[in-house]
Amino acid sequence: MKGIFEHIVVIGYGKITGEVLSFVNAQKEKYGYQMEFIEYEIHPVSITHKICTDEGIPYAQIPEKAKVTEKLLSIPEKTLIISASNNYLFPAEVVNKDNITVINFHNALLPKFPGRNAPSWAMFEGETEAGITWHYVTPGVDDGAIIVQKKTQITPDMKAYELAGILMNIAFEGFCESFEGVVTGTAPVVHQVFPPNRKIYLSKMVPNEGVFSLDDSPEDIYRLLRSTDYGLNAIFPHMKTNYQGKEIEITRYRKISADKKEDDGSLYLPLKDGSFLKLKYKEL
Amino acid sequence: MSAEERILKVLEGINEKILTYSGENMMEDGTLDSFELIEIVSQLEEEFDIEIDAEYAVIENFANKETIISLMKKLLKE
Repeated sequence: MKGIFEHIVVIGYGKITGEVLSFVNAQKEKYGYQMEFIEYEIHPVSITHKICTDEGIPYAQIPEKAKVTEKLLSIPEKTLIISASNNYLFPAEVVNKDNITVINFHNALLPKFPGRNAPSWAMFEGETEAGITWHYVTPGVDDGAIIVQKKTQITPDMKAYELAGILMNIAFEGFCESFEGVVTGTAPVVHQVFPPNRKIYLSKMVPNEGVFSLDDSPEDIYRLLRSTDYGLNAIFPHMKTNYQGKEIEITRYRKISADKKEDDGSLYLPLKDGSFLKLKYKEL
Repeated sequence: MSAEERILKVLEGINEKILTYSGENMMEDGTLDSFELIEIVSQLEEEFDIEIDAEYAVIENFANKETIISLMKKLLKE
């Protein structure tokens, strides 16, 4: 089946982008396109750089938004831009250009949770399933037509970074499944149906505004802590609460069995299943 | 079970390829991704009931299983 694109640009960083790069590169003879990679966010450890070097993929580091835009606008051929784990926001002049089609992976089941940190919001809102969406990019935020979606379960003790990792894996599965349809122009196009008062989650927004009460149910507190937990990647600040009239922030938390309780200055909140939520904290 | 065996068991549970990796930078080589790095830190903290500060989460300490074992031995001595 012949492809409809002469040129493919991959833009992004990290594992999913590396996987997409290798996959797209392996298909280029079959569908007859040239390809290149743009690294917009430069990371000290770059798996994508190594893949491009190993596989002979043209590679450019362009850390300035205006120059990326200029580069994309200068491409004359019919082009597919694949945005995977990418923080370059495509301006309307790129998205609307006749020879350019842009697809993006979002780590939520759109139309739910458009914007940033979607796995955290899905977990915090008490969803039992999360997922990913590959969609066409428009000048709006995560509002383009859906190409493919994949789902996964949010399990009771799952943390945000665990969910985010799983979503990266199923994002690549979804990409592989839908790639032929995209490059041949036969992929299903499902327009999103938006709820009234559609909410876009901004990077400055924090679940529960970053605070909780010790009178909240321990299950809710545990869910808040899990939903904002990216380990050493401090995407969100430590959650805060008041204890004995003082403001404290939770530095560590762990679900433990009753026999592991210690007199170690931590707070212990009883969970309904008989275990305890152990909270280490420091005063502010 | 020795500390080294406990470390290797944690690593195997997260990504068994770490145990057979013989290169010098498993993140750059694509064996370990950033989410797995977070998972390793979190599980080692739980396994040994210690806190691993962000300053230690650099690629030099997670380049391969030997550097992870070396880091943990250093932290467990402190």
